[in-house]
Amino acid sequence: MARYAMVIDLESCVGCSACAAACVLENEVPPGHNRLWIRQRELGVFPELTVEYRPEQCLHCENPPCVPACPTGASYKNEDGLVLVKYERCIACGACVAACPYDARFMNPAGYVDKCTFCEHRIADGLDPACVETCPTGCRVFGDLDDPTSAVREALAKAGRIDVLRPEMGTEPKLFYLNTPSNRGLDEAEEVQQ
Amino acid sequence: MTTFYGIPGGGHFWHWTTQIHFLLVALAGGFTLYTALLGMKNGSEGRKLAPWALLLIAADLFMLWAESPARFRFTQFWLFLGIHPKAAIWWGAWGLALSALLLLVIILQKQAGKYWYALLAVCSTIVVLYPGYALAANAARPLWDHLLLALFPATALLLALALLIAWRGEEAVRWLELTSWVSLLLALLLPAALASGGVDQARALALLLRRGLLFGLGTLLVLLAALTARRTPALAAACAFAGAWLIRGWLVAEGQHSLFTHGF
Repeated sequence: MARYAMVIDLESCVGCSACAAACVLENEVPPGHNRLWIRQRELGVFPELTVEYRPEQCLHCENPPCVPACPTGASYKNEDGLVLVKYERCIACGACVAACPYDARFMNPAGYVDKCTFCEHRIADGLDPACVETCPTGCRVFGDLDDPTSAVREALAKAGRIDVLRPEMGTEPKLFYLNTPSNRGLDEAEEVQQ
Repeated sequence: MTTFYGIPGGGHFWHWTTQIHFLLVALAGGFTLYTALLGMKNGSEGRKLAPWALLLIAADLFMLWAESPARFRFTQFWLFLGIHPKAAIWWGAWGLALSALLLLVIILQKQAGKYWYALLAVCSTIVVLYPGYALAANAARPLWDHLLLALFPATALLLALALLIAWRGEEAVRWLELTSWVSLLLALLLPAALASGGVDQARALALLLRRGLLFGLGTLLVLLAALTARRTPALAAACAFAGAWLIRGWLVAEGQHSLFTHGF
């Protein structure tokens, strides 16, 4: 039993979208949808301007609000802490889509709710998720939070700053953002207005 | 300035078909609850309304099935056999299914006992309550305030009473007037409830003030229904129906708007 998590070092992310492309190919994501995407924000006030590239996806929360919202038990958290969907039980009611504070879920045209699985099928084979494997700057690190020797624990220990998305939601995400370029967190920094 | 590479999942996940469901489930729940209460007082009167209530439930279930992208799985009732009390839709599914079965029993029996109507009252109350719960439970959608736990049942009863005027005349008019005032009060309280919330609720309030024309129109129609109920019941019923539908429809449609994807 593990407690899988991912860290993304925003100081290293260049917003190339290779992770998003790898995800689409690996998981055969239907056209018009993405299991992960990159948010680009221009932050700060001249002359202290910066650009933040922030990849977003399912955060595999410790307390996922999408799971109790499901009327059939299709959404569940497995023993390794991954939040998954049993497609054969999903009635596509959209309750979990509404419940997710991170907009990480979408309705697959095939008739079920779809989302990032941290490439569960690859993890089972001892591989990293496709987005981690493909990242050219190595800004993504994946591993077991309960293993003190794991790469993810090491990255968290070395990080200058650690943030999670919308901590006020109480979901305890297992996707951590390291070293935000603004050094002011994920939502605090002032965006450049046009 | 924010831009995206790839498509975030912040779009509308419910469409016009779901709007029809939110209307039909209100009519079905409210109509069935009225049938149950009437049946507890006078069995034969309740039995007269039962087929219509059953028809509304059937229409709602058909709509749900027709709009579902997972039609095949939607018919697999055993998927709902697990216990998921935190899932509003689980309650709704059982409430609708049991209400339909009880109505069938009442129709088939010449003189159904009052306990059947009492059971029907419980199940139909669940049907009236669950849509508001399904929305208000989502902390991530600030427009769907906890007030919807009261506003949605009130407008559901209002919709059903607007329809029931055709069957129950004066008796329904009295209830329509009362429910109109209650719905109006709750609709007017929504901006205040949002104003007293946090940052996200403040954004939802700004959305309501900026784009809430239909919500405002709905509230105005409900006020008109309350004021005209005694003098012109037919006009009041039409206003109540349109107003309640506008209020519910606008909240369902706009509440899906993601502040996470589009707000920060």
